[in-house]
Amino acid sequence: MDIEILHGPGSAAARVQLESGECLTAEGGAMISMSGDMDITTTTMKKGKGGILKAMKRMLAGESFLINHFTPGSRGGEVLLATSLPGDMMVYELDNENLIVQGGSYVACEESIDIDMSWQGFKSVLADNSVFWLSLKGRGKCVVNAFGAIYPVEVDGEYIVDTGHIVAFNETLDFKLTKAGGSWATAIFGGEGLVCRFQGKGTVWCQSHNASSFGSTLGPKLKTR
Amino acid sequence: MSDNTQGLDFRFDCKPDFGFLTVNIPQGDTLKVEASAMAGMDTTIKMKTRIKGGFGRFLTGESLFINEFTAEQGPGEIQIAPGPPGDIEHVYLENETIFLQNSAFVASAMNIEVESKWQGFTKGFFSGENLFLIRCSGSGDLWFNTYGAMIQIDVDGEYVVDTGHIVAFTDGLDYKVTKVGGYKSLFLSGEGFVCRFQGRGKIWIQTRQVSSFLNWVYPYRPASNN
Amino acid sequence: MITEVIGKPAFAYINVDLEPGESVIAESDAMSSMSTELEMAASFNGGFFSGLAKKFFGGESLFVNTFTNTASSPQRVTLVQATPGDVVEIDLDNDSICLQPGAYICSTPGLKLGVRWAGFASFIGREGLFKLEVSGTGRLWYGAYGGLLEKEIDGEYIIDTSHLVSYEPQLTLKTQLAGGLFSSFFSGEGLVTRVEGKGKVVIQTRSMSGLSSWANGKI
Repeated sequence: MDIEILHGPGSAAARVQLESGECLTAEGGAMISMSGDMDITTTTMKKGKGGILKAMKRMLAGESFLINHFTPGSRGGEVLLATSLPGDMMVYELDNENLIVQGGSYVACEESIDIDMSWQGFKSVLADNSVFWLSLKGRGKCVVNAFGAIYPVEVDGEYIVDTGHIVAFNETLDFKLTKAGGSWATAIFGGEGLVCRFQGKGTVWCQSHNASSFGSTLGPKLKTR
Repeated sequence: MSDNTQGLDFRFDCKPDFGFLTVNIPQGDTLKVEASAMAGMDTTIKMKTRIKGGFGRFLTGESLFINEFTAEQGPGEIQIAPGPPGDIEHVYLENETIFLQNSAFVASAMNIEVESKWQGFTKGFFSGENLFLIRCSGSGDLWFNTYGAMIQIDVDGEYVVDTGHIVAFTDGLDYKVTKVGGYKSLFLSGEGFVCRFQGRGKIWIQTRQVSSFLNWVYPYRPASNN
Repeated sequence: MITEVIGKPAFAYINVDLEPGESVIAESDAMSSMSTELEMAASFNGGFFSGLAKKFFGGESLFVNTFTNTASSPQRVTLVQATPGDVVEIDLDNDSICLQPGAYICSTPGLKLGVRWAGFASFIGREGLFKLEVSGTGRLWYGAYGGLLEKEIDGEYIIDTSHLVSYEPQLTLKTQLAGGLFSSFFSGEGLVTRVEGKGKVVIQTRSMSGLSSWANGKI
């Protein structure tokens, strides 16, 4: 499977070239276009049982996750994938490791990667229920996207990342939510609020921009809902 | 500026993320420009609004509004910015026809006929997508934009594109809108409607999808006070 | 101080590497990531009255954060604006530049943010009567939604108000209708800014109003 990222960081798209026999797993709604003889089947995440209606309910609750499986015809084929967030895309090759990815950033991966929705690491501390986290495990390629440009931070010791800017990180890292600037006055007035202090050895992939800052700037100019 | 030997002199900036157009209009010439897209211009240029057919057309939810800019007092430069972020493209039509998604129109020479109400365009494209097509024909410059980056596909055989990603395609291609794999897949796969192109021609597609953007921005919209 | 702007023009972000003792001032919520050894302190924007004036007339938030390196080795902070888009890095040497509200991102301590009376002509537009003026000696980063293009004005030029980001203070700005009364309303162009004189302006190749009109048309 060959994955190429085009037009990053502004309008990134991923071009996946599949050989006969290979299978690509991708988030529902990510396909731009594909070769004429490509086959798609849809499943829900392993987290839920009980058929389509239950899956739809869970999806609305932000708990389920619809994925498509693309299988090419005998001559192989191509799929172009879009981003759900305006921003960059990145290909990461997992080597029998665990990558924690922000749910909205997941785009696609090879069939061999295990996707688990039950990672609870941040749940107890981050009140934001709209953000969920996935754990990607195994060996193979995966594609993530972000709001903004993606830049890696190699942590060897500790580093602070604003919570709205985390895309993915190695599970080997420890983390702790703290007040920005050490005092509540600074945290609130400085607009940063809670930040994440990563500790240990590993990589954190950050997104340059903050989706909620942009949403709050643009939102008021739009029609009421 | 450009190597455009047949048409108007122009240049692009900030491709492919925020593609921006600058055109040099010779004295006496007029450029058709999408409404509210003008970002800057010389004072020699005068703007006229052409709402053909008077108010009636304005009220029927006409999907495309075009203004005309004429370099009256001398040649003039005009700078044009599309609304969404993305790329911008130029084609010089030589007595040809091209179909565009209606919000993709940026500007054209006066000689290009822009038709936005031909019923035949909406064949198979369901209004749930808000995908209105317009037909541009004639001889002259045409500029169109994409939401996201632009990918040009030369079709020779068959190609399938999600309808939300179609920007433009040449006349002569056969197209058919279908759902992916039956009704179950319609709701589950998120792909919804796709367009199957057949034959020989060019398609321009955009890497981003309006519906994803609208879903993402929904919680930030003001709540109506009832 | 070593600085770098990366990700231009779609998602420009600024890496500021501060030497021990150095500081950088940034608008509220601009921090994307930073070293744990930097001190971050929020302060009321440049003194009480100037702060309020900036809030009501300049469109910037009341508070700024100052990041200071109190450690003994260089430390990094990554700063960004609220919208996607391009960033301009400019060095001022005892001179000034006028910015659109909201364009300011961060600056070195030698620069002052002030509010400048722009005259009655600006009141009709979305500008407001005042303009944000940055002056002094130091480095400034500002940005906007879209790509940023510099343009030399020599004479007069018309710029759509939502596309003007910055201009040199010696230029005169006047607000006018895009066409006649009828065509200004129906054309969607509305009010424009007439720039006169000799100097540089920076325009943005997209605008928040263009984006919201396009999005509203799809809702």
